[in-house]
Amino acid sequence: MNSHESMLESVAVYALGSLSPQEAQAVRSHLKTCEECRREYRDLAPAAEALGYSAEACEDARSGAIAPPSPLLKKRIMAQIRPNVGEIRAVRPIVWPAYAVAAACVVLALVTSIFNISLNEEIHASQSTIAQLNANKTQLARQLAIQRLEMADLVAPDSQRYPVENGQVVKHGSRIYIAMDALPAPPKGKVYQAWTLHAGATQMSPSVTFVPNSGGVAVVPLPGNGSAVVAVAVSVEPDGGSKQPTSKPTFVLKFT
Amino acid sequence: MARVRRRDASAFEALYDAYHRLVYGVALRMLGDAASAEDVTQAVFLKIWSSPELFESGNFAGWVVRIARNRALDLLRSKSRNYDELSDTLPDTDQLEERAFATLDAARVRNALAALPADQREPIEMGFFGGITYEEISRRSGVPLGTVKTRIRSGLRRLRSALEGTVTV
Repeated sequence: MNSHESMLESVAVYALGSLSPQEAQAVRSHLKTCEECRREYRDLAPAAEALGYSAEACEDARSGAIAPPSPLLKKRIMAQIRPNVGEIRAVRPIVWPAYAVAAACVVLALVTSIFNISLNEEIHASQSTIAQLNANKTQLARQLAIQRLEMADLVAPDSQRYPVENGQVVKHGSRIYIAMDALPAPPKGKVYQAWTLHAGATQMSPSVTFVPNSGGVAVVPLPGNGSAVVAVAVSVEPDGGSKQPTSKPTFVLKFT
Repeated sequence: MARVRRRDASAFEALYDAYHRLVYGVALRMLGDAASAEDVTQAVFLKIWSSPELFESGNFAGWVVRIARNRALDLLRSKSRNYDELSDTLPDTDQLEERAFATLDAARVRNALAALPADQREPIEMGFFGGITYEEISRRSGVPLGTVKTRIRSGLRRLRSALEGTVTV
């Protein structure tokens, strides 16, 4: 087999996602310059992506497929993204305005007979808008409370401030913040990831991922109790974060 | 996704209804236990809600499977040190024309996969759902490295042919 035929096989394994990072990088570089391999990738990648469908869960046990997850999972997720879901559901069952408006629609239709006005739909749309606004209000209130606490920590005179490249790390009590004011945007498909070293540990633990806003500003509270954290670092990682740093840290700060 | 970007919870709910079986199925197939698969499913959908801008355009199902697979791989790697390090993401298609099968369903892909010869299907499933490199596939199956690569390529080509006719660009 010639070396290019071997490269075509590597492209197939790359499409499957089963190359090591080093080999994947080599294939990526090659794809930029080789039309034949690009064509091969374009042919095979959809087949590799389609593999996921073979595992799709199905309600019908006779299909031989995996059974779907518990309905409680949806409730858990929706509760997290819509914490006041109860309020929304409490609003929806109110039906008397719909009847009143429907009656008004009939009268209006008789009188005008020109416009087919569906006020019912408008009411439902309005209710939906109000529910959404309520959801947004609650979410904003929670965010505001958190931001107030963070702001208080950041400006507190007894906070400890440690200058690092592109910003500073602020420690107040057991809370730690990474506050960047000139952080360049990470490369496409990458994010910044914070790392923490706890007392007695030999390896950094992965913490949150983040990206700065368009002005290069990022204020990132590190989750958990920071009392036992003896060092903080930040590195550029693939989107979704990593278990171990895969790039040289942009800074490593040891608390003294 | 445009409505999800505008923080429309009902649009997000519809998205969940449409894709949670796919995400959960991939995670369960990779991890083998329902609790971990539910954790992955929850993480994937919360990621979609918190960072909808990560999906730019193209094949949403392919993108969501990719996220689910990466999350499941993270869990697999954290549970075992016997895994070779894999690329963190599936192939980067930034520079490539994106294609996807337009009308896929689970039964059709399952049938196409089942129709592959076992020596092609097995390394493909080990790579995709086992989250291991072809070197590890070779080591576990006792099949030479070059043969594993050849079989993966042949299998993907056959799979492609079986699903042909539904390709969109």
